[in-house]
Amino acid sequence: MIDNPDTDDMLAAEYAIGLLEDAALDEARERAMSDPVFAARIIEWEARLSQMADLKPVNPPAAAKAAVIRRLFPQAPHLSFWKRAGLWQTLTGTGVAALLLLAITSWQAGVPQRTGPLYTAEITSQTGDFRVVAVVDKTRNEVILTRTAGAAPAGRILQVWAHGPDEPAQSVGLWPEGESVRLPLPPEIAAVQGTLTLGVSEEPPGGSPTGLPSGRVFGTVGIPNVLDAI
Amino acid sequence: MTGGKTLTPEYVEAMIAKCALGDRSAFEALYEATSAKLFAVCVRVLGKTPIAEDAMQDAYIKIWNNAGRYRVTGHSPMTWLITVTRNTAIDRLRAQRSHKDLADYHDVLAAPGATPEQAAIAASEAGRLAECISTLPQDRATAIKGAYLEGYSYSDLADAAGVPLNTMRTWLRRGLIALRECMSQ
Repeated sequence: MIDNPDTDDMLAAEYAIGLLEDAALDEARERAMSDPVFAARIIEWEARLSQMADLKPVNPPAAAKAAVIRRLFPQAPHLSFWKRAGLWQTLTGTGVAALLLLAITSWQAGVPQRTGPLYTAEITSQTGDFRVVAVVDKTRNEVILTRTAGAAPAGRILQVWAHGPDEPAQSVGLWPEGESVRLPLPPEIAAVQGTLTLGVSEEPPGGSPTGLPSGRVFGTVGIPNVLDAI
Repeated sequence: MTGGKTLTPEYVEAMIAKCALGDRSAFEALYEATSAKLFAVCVRVLGKTPIAEDAMQDAYIKIWNNAGRYRVTGHSPMTWLITVTRNTAIDRLRAQRSHKDLADYHDVLAAPGATPEQAAIAASEAGRLAECISTLPQDRATAIKGAYLEGYSYSDLADAAGVPLNTMRTWLRRGLIALRECMSQ
């Protein structure tokens, strides 16, 4: 038995331990992305091997925390947001243009007719396989989301989350199906002034059982300077 | 072993979920709860050097940026954090090593016994794995640790042990199979 090892499992072990190189590494990495059984083997090996790195705690230098925080949250974290989101390129998509039109017309049809701020942002996953454009309508305190790429995996739904600066995240609502969804903002989220963060996760039907995302979070976006409608 | 109730899987998992939503205060809480564990990984791989601190910072940045993917991996929360950190530290070590003479580390691997510092660290290794590793022939245990904690390649390990590459590959694979079987008991 030892002389006839399960080749796949050994490949997964070598991948997890870091012994694959060059073409073999690329091949295994690609396979891990497309073959869930192989990916699960890698995860099992990572879990086994990680015990070697489960060590007695060593306190890092006190300055390390401030350094990490500075790197992650520079002083003006949202200034580059519009550029980063690539939003205006996305907005040329017809689906989004239609959505914006819808948002604007429905806002114009609002009674009493008021002018209120409309905030737009794009939520994208790091790998670019999932994109959602969000329009926050502060006149109606609603958010309208439209998928422009990707979807929840089969048998799962999307759930929308939001929070204000240094406030706990909460569910805005479920997005069980369809290209787009319109959700009223919960009172705490409607009250946010300043940066409003929106996120989308994939969840079991019925939504996350934990009150926090329980599946993959596709991405978040911070919308700066959100103000109440006047 | 894990140092306090804030390291319960439920707590760490909730903090990771909040990080995925961009909750900065959750990130700070996660850092407070886990940084000593993750710094220990970096110190084990890179020694108590400024590079170990840099590697830990890099690991936390990856953790923040990839928190949304944590659930997809199927890991327990500490396993995920430790794996991200170990991989980050190993990448650093390899980058650093590529500038150095190969001879520098042959000595380390070829050394017959662990230094007192290494022995102390080894003694603290948690879980069934440590027990299982201790049942392996010494050369196989050394090779597995050399690969996982020192980032050595098959050819590094073969050179250090003075055996052909294929022999090292066989040792290591048999060692891993034995580990898997021991740990499943």
